Amino acid sequence: MVELDHSFSTGKPTDYNWDAILDLDRLIPCVQGGRVVERTSPTAAKAEIKVKMGAMSMTFAGTVEVVEQDDAAHRALLKVKSREVGGQGHANADVAIDLNDGGGTIHTAAQITGKAASMGEGVVVSVLDGLIKDFTQRLGQI
Amino acid sequence: MAIPPGSYTLGPTDGTLTVRTGKAGAAAKAGHNLVIEVTRWEAALEVGKGGGGSVALTADARSLAVRSGSGGMGSLGDEEKASIAQSIDDDVLKGGTIAFRSSAVDAAPGGLRVQGDLDLLGATRPVAFDLDAGDDGRLTGSIRFKQSDWGIKPFSALFGTLKVADEVEVDVDAKLPVD
Repeated sequence: MVELDHSFSTGKPTDYNWDAILDLDRLIPCVQGGRVVERTSPTAAKAEIKVKMGAMSMTFAGTVEVVEQDDAAHRALLKVKSREVGGQGHANADVAIDLNDGGGTIHTAAQITGKAASMGEGVVVSVLDGLIKDFTQRLGQI
Repeated sequence: MAIPPGSYTLGPTDGTLTVRTGKAGAAAKAGHNLVIEVTRWEAALEVGKGGGGSVALTADARSLAVRSGSGGMGSLGDEEKASIAQSIDDDVLKGGTIAFRSSAVDAAPGGLRVQGDLDLLGATRPVAFDLDAGDDGRLTGSIRFKQSDWGIKPFSALFGTLKVADEVEVDVDAKLPVD
């Protein structure tokens, strides 16, 4: 299990950010290589992410679901479950987003298995850290 | 052996001009060491009777072809090799200038000691290398340099955790044309 904490700022009001992070059609494409495959409910979607490693790439397909939502505290917990396409690996994560004025914090608890994990925990942490930082920057633009 | 005095023009039909790259960054394990061939280049070699001479080389920045990759996660297929060549073209060299012109050429044991200026994408820096000549007329030479010294930012992917190593090696291996 890899746990990472990030903060972000959007410069936009909390209510705006709250609507944005709960809108999976807008949120999922903020992950580089991420796309919504199908909306399955107002709080869930089938999605996939293509992680490019130069010329090579790995695709994970699965679900993203808002499993907890505290409208008053502007706190949400998203559960990501995915499987490597054409491989044996998994990438699952609990992503807790806590909004404050003009931004927020993200706590990610991820479990990666298979080929990606075989590169070592240090590599997984570095890549996840890069991915989430990139995500927070894109989040500021939605 | 000493290179016989004369004027020589060399190109891909006479040998290979090869770029070798390594990998760096936290996720280096996922990347490949690459062997990339420059498929369009031309060199002019003048060797004087009393030693000395000149060397000039130009290469087409859009002619790089990935020949092999080693040490990465998975093997590189034709599609991946083409994708890397496209990235070199679009993101790194962008069809810019690749040209070398000597400023001094001196006789050295087994060949020539060459000094000169290498223009990469409009930035020019001095480099020096040996050109070794074999008994069979085979000419070999190699230089290593840092891309950043020419203002080139090494290609990176995977959120900056996987990079092409700053230092690259360029090898020439050609046979002197026989008149």
